[in-house]
Amino acid sequence: MSAPTVERPADRDVSSEARGRAPAPSRGGSLTAYAMVAPNLLLIVVFLLVPLVWALVMSFQAKRSFGPGRWTGLDNLTRLVGDDVFWRALLNTGIFTVATVPLSVGLGLALALLMDRALPGRGVFRTIVYLPIAVSTLVTSLVGLLLFDETVGIVNGLLRDAGIGPVSWQTDGRLAMVTVVLMTLWTRVGFGMLVYLAALQDVDGEVMEAAEVDGAGPLARVRHIVVPWLRPTTFFLVVINLIWSFQVFDVVYVMTNGGPGYDTTMLVTYAYDEGFGAARNFGYGATVGLVLFVLTLAVTLVQVRLNRKVEES
Amino acid sequence: MPFLNRRSLLAGGGLVAAAPALSGCAGLTQRVSATTAGRRDLLSVQVYGTDVEAKIYDELARRFEQTRRGVTVDLVSVPFSEASVGIDTGLASGTAPDVFRVDYPTMGVYASADQLLDVGDALDDLSGDLSEAFLGAVSHDDRVYGMPQHVDTSALVYRPDVLRDAGITAVPDRPEDAWSWDELADVADRLTDAAPDGSSAFGVNWQALGAFRWLNFLFQAGGHVYSDDLTRADLDSPEGRRALEFTASFFERGWVPGSTSTKAATYPDALFTSGTLAMLYAGNFLLPAFAETIKDRFEYAVTYLPRDRRRASELGGNALVASRTATNPDLAAEFLAFMGEADQMQAFCEAAVLLPTRTSLLDQQLDFAVAADLMPVYADQVTTIEDRDVADVTTATFAEVNLALANELEQCFLGGRSVEDTLAALDEQVSESAALNVEDGAR
Repeated sequence: MSAPTVERPADRDVSSEARGRAPAPSRGGSLTAYAMVAPNLLLIVVFLLVPLVWALVMSFQAKRSFGPGRWTGLDNLTRLVGDDVFWRALLNTGIFTVATVPLSVGLGLALALLMDRALPGRGVFRTIVYLPIAVSTLVTSLVGLLLFDETVGIVNGLLRDAGIGPVSWQTDGRLAMVTVVLMTLWTRVGFGMLVYLAALQDVDGEVMEAAEVDGAGPLARVRHIVVPWLRPTTFFLVVINLIWSFQVFDVVYVMTNGGPGYDTTMLVTYAYDEGFGAARNFGYGATVGLVLFVLTLAVTLVQVRLNRKVEES
Repeated sequence: MPFLNRRSLLAGGGLVAAAPALSGCAGLTQRVSATTAGRRDLLSVQVYGTDVEAKIYDELARRFEQTRRGVTVDLVSVPFSEASVGIDTGLASGTAPDVFRVDYPTMGVYASADQLLDVGDALDDLSGDLSEAFLGAVSHDDRVYGMPQHVDTSALVYRPDVLRDAGITAVPDRPEDAWSWDELADVADRLTDAAPDGSSAFGVNWQALGAFRWLNFLFQAGGHVYSDDLTRADLDSPEGRRALEFTASFFERGWVPGSTSTKAATYPDALFTSGTLAMLYAGNFLLPAFAETIKDRFEYAVTYLPRDRRRASELGGNALVASRTATNPDLAAEFLAFMGEADQMQAFCEAAVLLPTRTSLLDQQLDFAVAADLMPVYADQVTTIEDRDVADVTTATFAEVNLALANELEQCFLGGRSVEDTLAALDEQVSESAALNVEDGAR
């Protein structure tokens, strides 16, 4: 079953477009348009493009806290290639992304499907699931610390009472990564649920009824009608979760400080430590940051292209 | 519910209490701490610290205003974790406060980068009442760049009841009787054997920016970070090996909780106040918090840091410095001199339970707000700081060494890396920073 079609501008019988030529904008109209775009454009240039170019320039410099930088060509990049901690941070970021993106989106959809039904106290449940996203990540991370502290945490307290014994949440690298993933999911699932809930209101009830009459069970209806229908929403959520995962900082900084060792060090925490930490090595920090930018851009472009292909087919 | 016992709740409270300190993280992602330069008759001052410290700073600032008619002191108190990012940004953009508080290891970064005002003349009176070590901590290239307001250091805080239960009845009460490392090992073994589930013998305060406190063990073993001329690392030495083997054994033998390594996100004082540690390497600045949190739940006392070849403890504490671009440098220097006067230093140290840097005050019995009976041990520990130790921790690039210590020591403590490999990695990084010191003409 295919997703509903949307009327495209090309389908419309507009004489000027039919001739393949856009109507020439008037001079006054253009000025008005530029004037309206200008404030946003200015903000983007000042707070996005200028810092981006600046970071690019710094990545070719040995730049410490104060004074002018010294041009060092590709030295920072050479150091990056041979830097074990960078590769470890890249791997950790990849593992974290692979663990969090599918689960955030999948659990968000499952909860949305559940909360879309006529449940008693539905509003309360929706609020509870969404609440963590409305709270500062710093606070949720501190809650994570309370839960998973090895010595006095609530989880180990429960496990100790159950006779299972304490678990090394903070000193075992793999488990430390698990705690970071769990707390991240807690903050993200609510967002996915909310977006999916909104999208579910657009699912055509008649199509669902027809499928039911044709004998499609609940799982088949979700798989063949709901999921394809929600594809644009899923695409949006995947992209936004990818970007969030690549940029993870607060929860790692508060809960594990990148440790034990470098087991939960991510690209952003590493860039921060190098650029703004004790090292104050702005040049190298900017280089790590640029790698992250290129990576995020590449993954997003691949996603956009894949999505366009699916839509065209 | 059993898991929510008093101990968990207290520890939880401790962790939540860390929120203000960690709130600096918000600055990393949401905003950059804003700083403001002063004007001709307005002195902008940025400090950090506990509520008690903020209050006494405010009182002293008002006292300064009374002695300088028409002058206003605009005092801003920020979280410690936010302070250096704000100062760095302010210095780079010309909006740094006229005067700011800075710890001794970080001060080297600013002094070597020519960001601080030379206040040698203004502090002439104070300089005559300082030991060489404290004067050295605020000096760079024979110029004085700051007022060493106070010093703090570590001692061993312990619970007599827990030690008694483990059969340890004698605890050193004289400096010359301080435990040797072997005696500490014996005490730790006995405490570990007697410890209930979830408790440990002791914890060490070497987390995050406190990683340099590992140097206490290095110094005690007779080692040093740099060679005598500070141009190369000297960590990969028999003394370094002895210090690292001993401290790594804390984790191997289960004397300390694994979650108290050098990169831990939390500090072990919350574990001590919650009752899960029998002993803690703790700075004197924690005593007011201990008094407030522990109250009379259990008894605690302080003894001298264990010794090896020599006694040693770290140079902690803070200085007040003035920005080189202060709008009114004379006023900034005057403020530093005022804060360094004996009356102000005494008032500050007594209220905040910190040790003064003036020799004349160190020799006096100060009327500390709390824990006055414990402070003599700390005052004695300070006397073990040698000039050579101070030189090690006040180089221009020591902040980087501190970071390397946190990262590399944890690889050894928790990651299973050998002592030899860890020392080699540390030695390499310290040598790189030493080369930068030389290259930048930093020393």
